[in-house]
Amino acid sequence: MSACTATLLIASCSRPVGSSTFVAIEHEISPEPARVGPATITLKLTDSAAKPITGAYVAIEGDMSHPGMSPRFAEAKETDPGRYEARLEFPMAGDWVILLHVTLSDGKKLERQFDVRGVRPN
Amino acid sequence: MRVPGLGSLFRWRYARPLLQAPLLVLSVVMILHGLFGPSLAPKNLATTLSWLHFRGVLVLVLLCAGNFFCLACPFMLVRQWARRLFKPRFTWPRALRNKWLSVGLFVLILFTYELFDLWSSPWWTAWLIMAYFLSVLVVDGFFKHASFCKFVCPIGQFNFVASTLSPFEVKVREQDVCTRCHTKDCIRGRREPVSDLVTIRGCELALFQPSKVGNMDCTFCLDCVHACPHDNIGILSRLPASELMADPLRSGIGYFSRRKDIAALALVFTLGALLNAFGMVSPVYAVERWIARLLHASHEAPVLGVIFAFFLIVEPLLLLGLAAWLTRTWVGGANGKSTRALLPLAVRYTYGLVPLGFGMWLAHYCFHFLTGLYTLIPVTQNAIASLGRPWLGEPRWTLTGLPANVVQVIEIGFLLLGFAGSLVVTYGLAEDDSPDRPLRAFLPWAAVCLVLWCASMWLMFQPMEMRATLMSG
Repeated sequence: MSACTATLLIASCSRPVGSSTFVAIEHEISPEPARVGPATITLKLTDSAAKPITGAYVAIEGDMSHPGMSPRFAEAKETDPGRYEARLEFPMAGDWVILLHVTLSDGKKLERQFDVRGVRPN
Repeated sequence: MRVPGLGSLFRWRYARPLLQAPLLVLSVVMILHGLFGPSLAPKNLATTLSWLHFRGVLVLVLLCAGNFFCLACPFMLVRQWARRLFKPRFTWPRALRNKWLSVGLFVLILFTYELFDLWSSPWWTAWLIMAYFLSVLVVDGFFKHASFCKFVCPIGQFNFVASTLSPFEVKVREQDVCTRCHTKDCIRGRREPVSDLVTIRGCELALFQPSKVGNMDCTFCLDCVHACPHDNIGILSRLPASELMADPLRSGIGYFSRRKDIAALALVFTLGALLNAFGMVSPVYAVERWIARLLHASHEAPVLGVIFAFFLIVEPLLLLGLAAWLTRTWVGGANGKSTRALLPLAVRYTYGLVPLGFGMWLAHYCFHFLTGLYTLIPVTQNAIASLGRPWLGEPRWTLTGLPANVVQVIEIGFLLLGFAGSLVVTYGLAEDDSPDRPLRAFLPWAAVCLVLWCASMWLMFQPMEMRATLMSG
């Protein structure tokens, strides 16, 4: 499986999150480059000590960069400690923005986003 | 104007501000949400309303009624307020009293739309709206009459060209009444008998009703309707596109066949429709990468420049040049016009392409509008909820619009309608231009219409690909 890996923001920001929360999120998407149809998004959540963050609830939202397209939603399941996986459908080629709505086991909430550029047509 | 309720509304002097006010409020909301709301285009009112709903409603209203957007234009409401403070002192420069500036601005808007992916940026969309307000204030702050509408506004030019196909027109009911009229209030404005001060404005776009033909340059502002002391001007039905088939002397315009600038506007309107649609389908990226390799370009602007030059210069030169040459060759021998210059011939027949272009704009804009019709609901819910008071409930993001396969049938209908319209108008032009051999004059231009229609159909069946990263993939 070819995949891209990226690390999202290290310190949490902007949204209602405890100021001391520290979460690193790595993401992979498969297939890479993404194509129209289902894709698998894998997320790895770790804390400041690089320990896996378990028991989080991760909701995924995929938006196109163009108005008028409805967002796609998915829930990620924890497959290994700190590792979360979700299937998300890309119904149209183009640029997508993936929003992650994360609720940690202590109830704290985070939001992150990353781009999936140039989803190819089939 | 005879329709109960509607007629009395339009005859009311303050009908225009009444229609403008809601759009002005909406514009302010769009600016604020564009600047301070979500940065994601599908969640922002500025992008959703501008690039989906406004464009879709605009072309449908133009198709089914007329240039009612110019009537309700919010920019003009602000201009009216500003003119109470600053009276314009200058007349618009003679050298610019044509459509060349607005044609250039029209192309510039299409170019920046692609280059900066305006559809994906609420922030830039908000600035575009503000720039529009500022431009209106500057131009009409310095120059008298409706200089901005007639000579500058790219949206207005789009509306003027498209409204040549509308079923309604502002015109006189009975020419005899105008013949007997000595005050000519429709153009001079209604005046106080003693002071000679204008109390109701006449047409600011220099369209004298008795000799006005069609919708070109008419903003439906209804000034002439209100100024006419005989109640002899109304919004009347007519045959759509009929004004394109003939070439009479038009008040405030002249002859279409002698106006290269208006023909250029019609051409940009038509080919710009294809160009704008080409920018959102998958093959454009392969073409861009190919051009970028040829030019060794790492920036998108020169690549887009080449594509624009092909669509708006090379393509019309080839297609219209060949069609004009064939027309001259086939028809010229019969009526002694073999020495006719090609450019006036091309100008004459360019207006026949307008229905095709409008069909493409309709297909394109209605695709976005209809497939994203209901997205305004969750975007509005989200905007209100972000104020801390979710009065409309939580956003229902699953709401979208009509299914794409249904919309595609509608798109095909628009393209067919446009093609049929272009053939009818072109034949009308051929009959008017070459009454002896209309078929011979018609065939080359019908072939041009066929080529453009096939290109439109091909475009419509390409996979859509909305990207803001043309050069990176």
